[in-house]
Amino acid sequence: MAPVRDRRPSLQWRLIGSLSIALTLGSAALGFAAYNYAQTAADDSYDRLLIGAARQISETVSADAGQLSVDVPLSALETLSISRSDRVYYRVDGPDGAAVTGYNDLPLPAAASGESEAPIVGDAVFKGAAIRVASVKRYVSESGINGWVVTTVGQTREARNALSRDLTGKAIILVAAMSVIALIGILLAVRRALRPLHEVEAALIGRDPNNLTPLDVDAPAEIAELVDVINRFMQRLSDRFDVMQRYIADSAHQLRTPLTALAAQVELLANEDRPAAQKGYIARVRERTAELGRLTNQLLSHAMVSHRAQALPADQVDLAAIARQAVADAVPVSLGRDIAVRQEIGAEPVLVQGDAVSLREAIRNVVENAVHHGAQEGLWVRVTREAGGALIEVHDDGPGIPEADWPRAAERFYRGDTQAVGSGLGLSIAADVAKSHDAEMSFERPAGGGFTVRFRFPTQAVRA
Amino acid sequence: MRILVVEDTRDVGEAIVASLERMGHAVDWQATGRGAEDALAVQEYGLVVLDIMLPDIDGFQVLNTIRTRRIAAPVLVLTARSQVDDRVGALDRGADDYLVKPFDFREFEARARALLRRGQGANVSRLEVGDVTLDQVARSVTAAGAPVDLTRREIALLEVLMSHPRRVFSKAELHEQLFSFDSEAGPNAIELYVARLRRKLQGAQAEIRTLRGQGYQISAADGAGA
Repeated sequence: MAPVRDRRPSLQWRLIGSLSIALTLGSAALGFAAYNYAQTAADDSYDRLLIGAARQISETVSADAGQLSVDVPLSALETLSISRSDRVYYRVDGPDGAAVTGYNDLPLPAAASGESEAPIVGDAVFKGAAIRVASVKRYVSESGINGWVVTTVGQTREARNALSRDLTGKAIILVAAMSVIALIGILLAVRRALRPLHEVEAALIGRDPNNLTPLDVDAPAEIAELVDVINRFMQRLSDRFDVMQRYIADSAHQLRTPLTALAAQVELLANEDRPAAQKGYIARVRERTAELGRLTNQLLSHAMVSHRAQALPADQVDLAAIARQAVADAVPVSLGRDIAVRQEIGAEPVLVQGDAVSLREAIRNVVENAVHHGAQEGLWVRVTREAGGALIEVHDDGPGIPEADWPRAAERFYRGDTQAVGSGLGLSIAADVAKSHDAEMSFERPAGGGFTVRFRFPTQAVRA
Repeated sequence: MRILVVEDTRDVGEAIVASLERMGHAVDWQATGRGAEDALAVQEYGLVVLDIMLPDIDGFQVLNTIRTRRIAAPVLVLTARSQVDDRVGALDRGADDYLVKPFDFREFEARARALLRRGQGANVSRLEVGDVTLDQVARSVTAAGAPVDLTRREIALLEVLMSHPRRVFSKAELHEQLFSFDSEAGPNAIELYVARLRRKLQGAQAEIRTLRGQGYQISAADGAGA
């Protein structure tokens, strides 16, 4: 049999799916962090060059007769021209804020007008492009000039962006590689973790259907529990199987006995010429056939009742109606012995929680017992409601079951040591049904003689 | 009376036909459900003996046809199914009685006889004469509302008499109705059962009279009849 595949994702794909999401989110966060870091790193290194260039220019500021002059060194700008596409701007402002040289509209980094000599770096936009600007200050005190000279150098961002892109890209490749490795690792781990399950599956599939011995699979703790549950289920199945097998064997044996008797009587009949003797054998054949029919019905009834006891939910049923029907079923119209059957069953329903079919089988079997093995001249069936409960009594005027046999009378195929014909199943069926309805089945020999089988249904089973 | 037997198992069908013919009835035997429906379309029957497991259509379907066509014949259903629900089903679906296979042929004869007695289309399950009531389904008898303990055969005898109050039944007629052909019961058995019935119904307002040389009849004791 092929394993059933349904549309629910497998455990493996569920695990891989959720872990992939976690990895993707983690990678995105790492990528973002890497980008930020790369940008900071690129800014740091290029800012240093920018400040260096500004300082170099600043060094060349000199005063001559109250006039500031700057001799911009080529090397200062060359260091900034590593990237061919980057543009570099500068301006130098005197102490009075007047531009000395360069682009006098180049934006200054914020707070550039402070009194500190520390360089200031910032972002700005110039000629439509994002740029980075750095200012350094130098105090000039010569030839009539006294004050701070501010040198500002700006540079477009191409080079640093290229660097940060490069750094980010490399970081992302690393993160992605790590994720793939993690995913492969997870895949292998999941496979490994699920392998015991596959072993259980293989052990179950490969096994003979009749083999209900415990599974022998070496499994980790989580799966050992599952294996344990399967084994306990298997044990129950095995027990049930044993019971069924014993039942089938017993049934076959029970059928064999009347069949042998039947064959024997037919054999006698075949070899008998005297009509009077023939009649006797025919009567016996008939008797045995009827017995066999009853036995077969009881075997079926027994199987059905025990199945229903487990499988069916209880309904609200009327014991009075069930008993009436059971009596009609159980007492043949054509009975050789002429007996009186009295039904003391009221018209109003006696409701209990139960299964109508099995209850009827139970009552029918007890009445049948009374008809075939008990009643001499009569029997009665009574259904009564008693304080909170309900009673069904089946009484016949026969000798009944000897007290010594009472404890075992409800056992399957038990017939006591009487030679009476019968399957020994009727009371067993009745007892099983009583048990599954929480009812109590008891026997009694009333003072007036005869024999009574009584079912007492408990309070909770009876509905007002 | 004409009887339709619908049974596909040959051994069983033969025995049923033989048994009904011995009772003096004309029998049509069909082995399929369709055959049965065809026969029912052209012939009136006093009783239909219907097997449920048929090779073509379900016996319940035939039963359905019988009831929807308002055919009055009583139906005796034979079922081999183990499910007891089937038996309940048979009565719910309009069968008048049922027998579970394997059945005793004496029981079959007795049931068939009871259904034929109940009569075509009468559909009455309760007979009344005076204050005596006989429930044909529960097979119980009350006199003035109180149950009377009667044996099965006593009830059968009373049933025959009560089915036609004031009609005179001969001893032979009653014997034939009550006992199967191979019964050991002698010709005096009827006298014996009538005597017992009279004793048990003492005080009831129904009386079984003996008409010398003719037989027995039942009538309400106050002379009002039933």
